[in-house]
Amino acid sequence: MDRECVSLLPRVCEVLAASGSSLPDDTSLEKLLDWFTGLTKAGTSLLESCPCLLEFISTVVHNTALDPSILSFTLRLTGFVAVTEVAFKVLQESSVLDLVFNLQHWQEAGLWEDPCIRIGWIQGLRTMMQHPKALSFFVQADFLQPLLQLQTDKSLFVASAANQMLAHVLLSCQSVSSVGSNDVDEEGEDVGRSGGSIADLEYSAVTVETNQDYAAVVTAISECLKKSLVPRENTQLHQSLQILKLLALLLAQTRPPLWEKLLQMVADSVDELLVAGYSQLILPLMDVILAAYSSCDVNRRAPDQRVSRLLSFMLNIRKPADLIQAAAAFLRRGLHDLVHTAQSARVLLLPLDIITGLNLLTTTADEQRFLMMEQLKNKTSCISLICVCLTNTPQMTLMAADCLPCPPVLIVTAVLSLLKLCSGDSSSPSSSSSGCREVSRNVIGSSKVQKCALDALTALSGSPGVEVKLAEVFTLLVQCLDNPDSDPTVLQKSFQALVQWMSVCSDLSSITDQHRQDLLQVVRKRSCDIRWEVRDSTVEFLGRLAGVRVIQTTAEEASDASVAVLGGCCFTTPLLRAALQDTESYVRASAISALAQTLAASWQQGAALTQEQTEIVNQLLEVLSWDTEGFARRAVVRYFIAWLSSMSSHSCVQSPASSSLLMPSVRSVLSRGSADLDWEVKVHTLELAELLLDEAFSGQRGYTKGNPTQTHPYAVIPNTLHTRTHNEEDVVGVLNSLVQWGVVSALLSGLVDCDRPVALRACRLLITLREVVCPLSLGALDATAAMATVARVTCELPGCGWAREIRKMLVMKAKDANAEGGVSGGEVVNCDDCGEAGQEAASVGGQTPCVSVCEVLRSLDLDERLDVLTRSSDHVHNSPLSLLQDILTASSARSQPDTQQEVIADCY
Amino acid sequence: VKWKKEATNELILKQSVQKFTNFCHPTLPCNVLKFKSTTIMLDCGLDTTSVLNFLPLPLVHSPRLSKLPGWISKDGTINLEKELKDCAGRVFVDSQPEFCLPERELLDLSTIDVILISNYHCMMALPYITEHTGFTGTVYATEPTLQIGRLLMEEVVNFMERVPKAQSATCWKNKEIQRMLPGPLKDAVDVWTWKRCYSMQEVNSALSKVQLVGYSQKVELFGAVQVSPLSSGYSLGSSNWIIQSHHEKVSYVSGSSLLTTHPQPMDQSSLKNSDVLILTGLTQMPTANPDGMLGEFCSNLAMTIRAGGNVLVPCYSSGVIYDLLECLYQFIESASLGTTPFYFISPVANSSLEFSQIFAEWLCHNKQTKVYLPEPPFPHAELIQTNKLKHYPSIHGDFSSEFRQPCVVFTGHPSLRFGDVVHFMELWGKSSLNTIIFTEPDFSYLDALAPYQPLAMKCVYCPIDTRLNFHQVSKLLKEVQPLHVVCPEQYTQPPLTQSHRSDLMLELQPPPMPYRRCSVLNLPFRRRYERVYILPELANSLVPSEIKPGVSVATVSAVVHSKDNKHTLQSVPKPPPVAPSKKRKRVMDEPPVVLAPKPLLSGAVPLEAFLATLQKHGITEVKVEETADGHILHLQAEDTLIQLEEDGTHIVCDNNEPLRTTLRDLVLRFLQKL
Repeated sequence: MDRECVSLLPRVCEVLAASGSSLPDDTSLEKLLDWFTGLTKAGTSLLESCPCLLEFISTVVHNTALDPSILSFTLRLTGFVAVTEVAFKVLQESSVLDLVFNLQHWQEAGLWEDPCIRIGWIQGLRTMMQHPKALSFFVQADFLQPLLQLQTDKSLFVASAANQMLAHVLLSCQSVSSVGSNDVDEEGEDVGRSGGSIADLEYSAVTVETNQDYAAVVTAISECLKKSLVPRENTQLHQSLQILKLLALLLAQTRPPLWEKLLQMVADSVDELLVAGYSQLILPLMDVILAAYSSCDVNRRAPDQRVSRLLSFMLNIRKPADLIQAAAAFLRRGLHDLVHTAQSARVLLLPLDIITGLNLLTTTADEQRFLMMEQLKNKTSCISLICVCLTNTPQMTLMAADCLPCPPVLIVTAVLSLLKLCSGDSSSPSSSSSGCREVSRNVIGSSKVQKCALDALTALSGSPGVEVKLAEVFTLLVQCLDNPDSDPTVLQKSFQALVQWMSVCSDLSSITDQHRQDLLQVVRKRSCDIRWEVRDSTVEFLGRLAGVRVIQTTAEEASDASVAVLGGCCFTTPLLRAALQDTESYVRASAISALAQTLAASWQQGAALTQEQTEIVNQLLEVLSWDTEGFARRAVVRYFIAWLSSMSSHSCVQSPASSSLLMPSVRSVLSRGSADLDWEVKVHTLELAELLLDEAFSGQRGYTKGNPTQTHPYAVIPNTLHTRTHNEEDVVGVLNSLVQWGVVSALLSGLVDCDRPVALRACRLLITLREVVCPLSLGALDATAAMATVARVTCELPGCGWAREIRKMLVMKAKDANAEGGVSGGEVVNCDDCGEAGQEAASVGGQTPCVSVCEVLRSLDLDERLDVLTRSSDHVHNSPLSLLQDILTASSARSQPDTQQEVIADCY
Repeated sequence: VKWKKEATNELILKQSVQKFTNFCHPTLPCNVLKFKSTTIMLDCGLDTTSVLNFLPLPLVHSPRLSKLPGWISKDGTINLEKELKDCAGRVFVDSQPEFCLPERELLDLSTIDVILISNYHCMMALPYITEHTGFTGTVYATEPTLQIGRLLMEEVVNFMERVPKAQSATCWKNKEIQRMLPGPLKDAVDVWTWKRCYSMQEVNSALSKVQLVGYSQKVELFGAVQVSPLSSGYSLGSSNWIIQSHHEKVSYVSGSSLLTTHPQPMDQSSLKNSDVLILTGLTQMPTANPDGMLGEFCSNLAMTIRAGGNVLVPCYSSGVIYDLLECLYQFIESASLGTTPFYFISPVANSSLEFSQIFAEWLCHNKQTKVYLPEPPFPHAELIQTNKLKHYPSIHGDFSSEFRQPCVVFTGHPSLRFGDVVHFMELWGKSSLNTIIFTEPDFSYLDALAPYQPLAMKCVYCPIDTRLNFHQVSKLLKEVQPLHVVCPEQYTQPPLTQSHRSDLMLELQPPPMPYRRCSVLNLPFRRRYERVYILPELANSLVPSEIKPGVSVATVSAVVHSKDNKHTLQSVPKPPPVAPSKKRKRVMDEPPVVLAPKPLLSGAVPLEAFLATLQKHGITEVKVEETADGHILHLQAEDTLIQLEEDGTHIVCDNNEPLRTTLRDLVLRFLQKL
């Protein structure tokens, strides 16, 4: 622990014990506790390192007039202190422990009413209960009854903490007793433990008496579970809910003897609860049953008969809404149970079967069908039921064929037919009956159902054997896209579904020319939509489509989907270029990314440049210079990153196309991007610079791609990195070109940027550059000799802001070096009159001063800078020391109110 | 005092005459309500779909239309070469277009007391009703309705008179001949009643009968009923009407909208507590959501302009066009259409754009507040200022010199049979770059385009109808809860083409009373009372007696005086002193014989007390029998029965008048007399 903190802690304790009201803010206590948690986890014994805590606890606990938040803090702190057995003993011997957790003490002081005291009490106990002594303390003090009462506390937080605590107690008892009785189930050992806490229990202390005590605790808890599970009246549903939550926790974590016992105890009550049929309790009940069921599943035990019976009961409830919920909950668990899985699937497909009139289910009980139909006639429940079904359909189609009542293709058909119903285009085949008409009328125009169905349809693209539906899906999605009433989200989802289906079913031979025409028309229309969200999704769609590889016909070669269905660039590019003029910056940004995706193929193939591409690049550079919104400018830089990386991955950098257009543009992007106001644009610009560095030095010794700090000093360096021999002339050439492209300027300007992520990235890259060009490890004299040629490479430091900043740093460094008596200081900067006046003169005279890149790299104290930048900007404020100091300062401010003007902190 | 009136209130609902029996417009209503001895016509919409059977009237000479072959029946027996022309595979009448008038046989139009107009689209038949029919009543409408209605009428008259056609085709209307014609001419109904357009003089005369009213203003009609317009939210000055007497309230809801467009929002609360709500003018396009259509309109427009084509929007010169312009005002920037010219061509374009800006009090709140800034409420003012929107009275004159393409043209008439739109159809129809976008829902766009086929131009149909849809109307009716709803038959069943859409019909409890063309309905009024006033001196003479706490009763003898549907009770004139002369008086002069009214009895006869009284009077042998309604007392010795019931007492006593009188007096002792 920090020595300084230890020295401050006693005074802080005094302050807290005196009055809690002078805390700097209401999070201070939480922060203190966080600090203690960290210390405890690191294995520090709090009592040993901070003996003042004992006195603090005993003072505070006697002073019930203190602020409840301080008292609650003390309760929780006691838990941390008593987490080791030794400290626990000390506390117990000084009789502090008894008083701290004495309920009566708090009740008599009238403080028990305050929920923060109750939660402090529970959490203190919970933290402490890591060893058998604490457990014995708990049992002997008879805390079980109050804890059971707290389970239904009116404060949700207290109730939930009590529930957790009860589970913890029971599991602790289980571990201890099973050790005592030497009845450890090898397989279940790890499962039965929550976290690592109970594993630390020392079992040796367990005696026969305590064993009996624990058994009594277990019995008491299970009795309570049994008794309180079934609500006497409707108002007690809350209690049942809490018990069910606890039961679910327990059944998932306990092992056989206790598991059996618990189940035995509550089985009848659960039965009773099931028969009572409280809709609010269906999901928690299902959680309990599934917890019990999966516990068998995970432990590879045969499913318990009782549990299976309960499950079957749940999957046959009469209330349709509850039934659907139960079935969905079962499917979500993904358990290996063919019978129940098949049954759940049938339940979940029933509403779809009814509404679409397709025979998804060969047989269903007439009563169930009738009840479901009645439920579906109500609009609200109809929509929610259908949505639950739709959400589960993709998972169903991936199930084993013998679980599924119908082939996945039929489910796709049903979803398509539902979508048609939503748009009011068709009636379901069975809608002749007035009941069905009433039901299908509920979904007409419901965009909620539409969205759900489209999500389902997207996910269903991966189901086995559904490729045959591609043409039908295509037609329907285009209709959705064409529908004037589709809301923007529906359109977006339709576009996504279309891309997904085309990427999964890569064979597009079923798509006819008519399909293509329809899609072209609708894309053209939506790219002019009045709502920007729609234009944005359309543009995104064009980009994503270009990234999908498909086979048009078996004879043809693979191409991208954009070419296959839209005819490729000749259709897409004009639309995207028009979108570059959009008034909404999101659309412009999406258009730029989509252009990059569209052109990626031609870049990779090293195709010749077109006039259009040149125009696009000019347009993009204009966006980078003039666009008022950051999104678009960021996208421009990313466009060039994509272009450059696709060229370098295909070794086309030297191709004529790139030399004539790409590299000059990259130069502009670097200079404009690094001068941008948006920090993300700058970070992207540095990414572009990094790509150029990678490209220039790949294989050069000393060059590590990416983050220099990420490579472990002893890591094996791949051989490929040694393929190029170290050739000084090469390095000079490369460095010169980097200077010319503006990479070095971009990095230097980034280094002095006021945005930390920018400066950090630039600093790392500069270190990388330094390591390959003039490593510090060579030493100053060696370096001068070895780098004689490299040192000749210079870069300009113009009169603008960042360069002035760099120059100042260099001058400072030179002065320091001179002061130390060094001789090389004067050579750092070539322009030897580096004072302010000299700079001005240089700029005025039209000569931009030049500096040696190597010398700059070596003189900027990059490592020191990296160290500073790596720390987060609030590292000082977040330290425990600062917290303790704050508490002390606040208290002194409070004690001298006249001298200190109140500072109103602006919390943002 | 309640006075029961036996006369029934009847409603004659008469639909405007429809040319096609299967194609009825509940949106162009013309109904008559007979209520409390007044005859009220509710709207007089004109069905203009008849013009679709006529050839377009070109503004400049059209070689194509002038060289069309005349029609001769296949067997050559009927030759109507002069009247009918074969055009694009269909037969059209070559004469000035004619309109289908409201039914005039069912009712003598001179008996109509008032006409209530709900919006400017529903008054186009006014000159046909008020002129040359003997109509002497008053027409009530709001100011914007009158002014914009006048513009619309003026526009049609101008369109027709600009291109006069000497010829008037009548032979084809002969029943025998019409039967032989190809469809749809063959199926047109009541073609003999079709009339040419009215003249400007008739328009002026008809509109001079309009009395202006403001929202919520109450107008008394002959003392019998009060009518009052309410904002309906559909168009500038559009109104629903409340027609009420002291005890009955009829609401007439026609062409209302709940959408936030330019007019003042709909006043729903005043429609509450109606006995009968007459519902017409729902949207003609229940499946086309106006917002979606507006979006379609904009994106199709942008698509065409970007591809270098022109956009033609056939529309009325007032109404949705204001919203279209407003929407485009916001859209043109984002779609980079800033330099594209927008032209609005109509003889009344200027007035329409200017009128819309001056009716501040009739606008929605947002637009009203702009007036105080001060700023023009509609953004089309700015479009005009910046030269993005230009308006011209016709294609002749300035327009031709300033015309630039690609452009967007708004012009009438939406039927594509007359007006400047005909010229643009001829001009642009041949190029697939151009697009025609239909926004008015009144005409089938395929029928409108029929004489221009084959057409290379793209056609987009996005009808924008902001009137109530079925979902909105169900909500509205739930809110205002009328006792009975009367509506056109079409609203009570799903549309013919979409029989599965049960959401596109009215489902109410009790079911609505449907009416069809020319049907007469009796309205189900529950209350049948009239308010009667009592003169102060007569009221002073009354002596009320309290029969139970809070309820006092008095008898009145008076003369009922009824005038202008107001009923007053006056004192009975005292009989003049008997004239000394023996001259025989004329029977007529004899004052009504005034008999002293018999006292009215009230109260109940208590059984025990009555038996005691009987005993006092020596009647001892009484056998009491309990019945469902009271008791029967059997006076055995006297062989007499007394039936004591809640609402009557009978003494059955044969041939013993003294006993009956005694018994009667005994009974009367227990009752109160008035």
